[in-house]
Amino acid sequence: MPASSVIPDHRCLVTGASGFIGVQVVEVLLKQGEANLRCFVRPSSRMKRLQEVIHRYDAENRVDIVAGDLLSRDDCRKAAADTTVVYHLAAGFDKSFAGAFMNSVLTTRNLLEAFREVGRPGRFVNVSSFAVYSNLNLPRGALLDEASPLEDSPQERYDAYAFGKLKQEELVRDYGQKQGVPFVILRPGTVFGPGKRDLTGRIGVDTFGFLLHVGGRNQLPLTYVENCAEAIVLAGLKPGVDGETFNVVDDDLLTSKQFLKAWKRRTGRRFSVRLPYFLAYGLCALWEDWSKRRKGQLPPAFNRRRCAAEWKGNRFTNRKLKERLGWQPRVGMDEAMEAFLSQFDPATS
Amino acid sequence: MLRIAIIGCGKIADQHLLAIQRLADCEVVALCDRETLMARQLGERFRIANVFGDATEMLGSARADVVHITTPPQSHFTLARQCLEAGCHVYLEKPFTVTAAEAAQLVNLAANRHLHLTAGHNYQFTPEMCRMRELVAGGFLGGRPLHLESHWSYDLGDASYVGPMLGSRQHWVRQLPGQLFHNLISHGIARMAEFLDDEVEVVARAFQSQHLRQLGGAEVKDELRVLLRDRLGTTGFFCFSTQLRPGPNQFRLFGPTNSLVVDLISGSLIRCRSGNYKSYLTYFVPPLRSAGEHLRNSLRNVRDFLSGRLYQDSGMKQLIELFYQAIRANRPPPIPLREILLTARIMDEIFGQMGAATPPRPAEPQLNLSR
Repeated sequence: MPASSVIPDHRCLVTGASGFIGVQVVEVLLKQGEANLRCFVRPSSRMKRLQEVIHRYDAENRVDIVAGDLLSRDDCRKAAADTTVVYHLAAGFDKSFAGAFMNSVLTTRNLLEAFREVGRPGRFVNVSSFAVYSNLNLPRGALLDEASPLEDSPQERYDAYAFGKLKQEELVRDYGQKQGVPFVILRPGTVFGPGKRDLTGRIGVDTFGFLLHVGGRNQLPLTYVENCAEAIVLAGLKPGVDGETFNVVDDDLLTSKQFLKAWKRRTGRRFSVRLPYFLAYGLCALWEDWSKRRKGQLPPAFNRRRCAAEWKGNRFTNRKLKERLGWQPRVGMDEAMEAFLSQFDPATS
Repeated sequence: MLRIAIIGCGKIADQHLLAIQRLADCEVVALCDRETLMARQLGERFRIANVFGDATEMLGSARADVVHITTPPQSHFTLARQCLEAGCHVYLEKPFTVTAAEAAQLVNLAANRHLHLTAGHNYQFTPEMCRMRELVAGGFLGGRPLHLESHWSYDLGDASYVGPMLGSRQHWVRQLPGQLFHNLISHGIARMAEFLDDEVEVVARAFQSQHLRQLGGAEVKDELRVLLRDRLGTTGFFCFSTQLRPGPNQFRLFGPTNSLVVDLISGSLIRCRSGNYKSYLTYFVPPLRSAGEHLRNSLRNVRDFLSGRLYQDSGMKQLIELFYQAIRANRPPPIPLREILLTARIMDEIFGQMGAATPPRPAEPQLNLSR
């Protein structure tokens, strides 16, 4: 997967390098011979997978690992010193809005500031999420692409993660416009692969002690972790895409019913209760109204916006990603599913 | 209409705002955080326009009657003093201050200026804790409590809190004298302080759990056991644990006649009555009575939920409401200042003993099993 760099003599920084996607991004960079790579990790991170990758490419001398906290400006300066491309994957998964904001926005602000001050800003690749979109007013089956509306009320959707990611994107655009930091925003869909065993919430909920499968015909915006990592790497190196936003989804997407069927067959778990979308929407609306009437006695965990975002069923496209970045999903959906499901085989477990 | 301001716009500030929104005759007029972005995000979500990055500036322009301080503990003393000096009543999140000496200074300052002050010991005002207090006041125990037991637990699985704390020696929790305990045990100690005399003997032992050791907890300790005895002979036992499952949050009071168990996880208050039953009835009747107590709690909670009286964080709303009522009516605050000071003193003593050299373990008893 050749890619020309934006800046010659570049040095890349990957934040969240020990995470599920981060390790793959590091692997892609090493595979294409990246000579100057810095990985930023939390001191408490599990390093085994990252270290295995570095060892596999005999890259101990090419990779600089910096442990720290992105909430610390000093740590950010250590991470960003002399870097030209930042792959910002570190994400905050705090359930509270304040925590999500702090771990997404303050960290990104600190990193952008450090990048400006002690880096050589070539490009800031901000890894966002599909969670930023709102499909509340899109019809079922309509195409959701980069031009689709963003969520304008994450509080009402009770989605702290979406709130953090939306504000993070706003900040990156702001630094791009006002401070001249070149950026690209990537919005991966549901990233899956070995190492991540949980079922995506887009299939249903297991809050009540069993799997409630919502909908079934809704297409999942899947992207296999290796394909996603390659898209992220390209976004940092491809010239002429500054200021652009790309959705990341693979080809041949599965519906939630197809995904669940394959998962059940492989894991041996059989029990789930199917709930049609219209019924789920009605129940979510009731829950939301009850929550409002009772001033949050029940947190509005189920609501119209979330129901639409997770289960409404829209179509997704990767056309822009292919046309502008020249990306192709190297791992096909069948192969990706096999790799994902193989982790549930007794021998692997 | 009371004008409210909040300093510190982190996670806990959301809970304060949600609780205040449930109350009549008060309005949040300003938010402040040294990190202005944090103040802005909170203001945006709760539609509060006045946001500040500096407490002095906020106190000068917001004309707040009450300030809630929800910042990390190291800043509590300075900010609370500043607010009191500016003529504001203060709700100070737990732990009240870093040391008992600081707590005493704030209490004196509030008294001199005729201002109200309270600590964020909201778990003392949950419905079941309030019912417990009524029963104790009504003489259910048959006298003053003779023995108290407080169990408090914390799940180290919360990676958003534990990860950063373990990851950096500079993390604010690691900078506290009592580290993890300092930020977490106030609630469990405060409810004992309510029933203890001012002079309390304390014996504390802290250690690190195997789980935390595996997480790379360095010097952080996460298991604490404390014995207490006051001048009147009331004894107490406090247990903080990250290991016990299901994680307990219980307060037990034993009196000369009856005892009470408050379970804050399930919102239950169990009345344990003395009784002499003949022969095998000892095995039949008390379990039935106990089952009846649990059923009564369950039905009460269902009823309160359906009627809208039961909700999460109701203790915080109750404490804030009582605090505001005390301000308006110039009555004593809901938590007597004596209790706040005693809690701070007990915590000081515990952390002092944690720092002391661990006494040598007693030799294993030699058991002679041969006949």
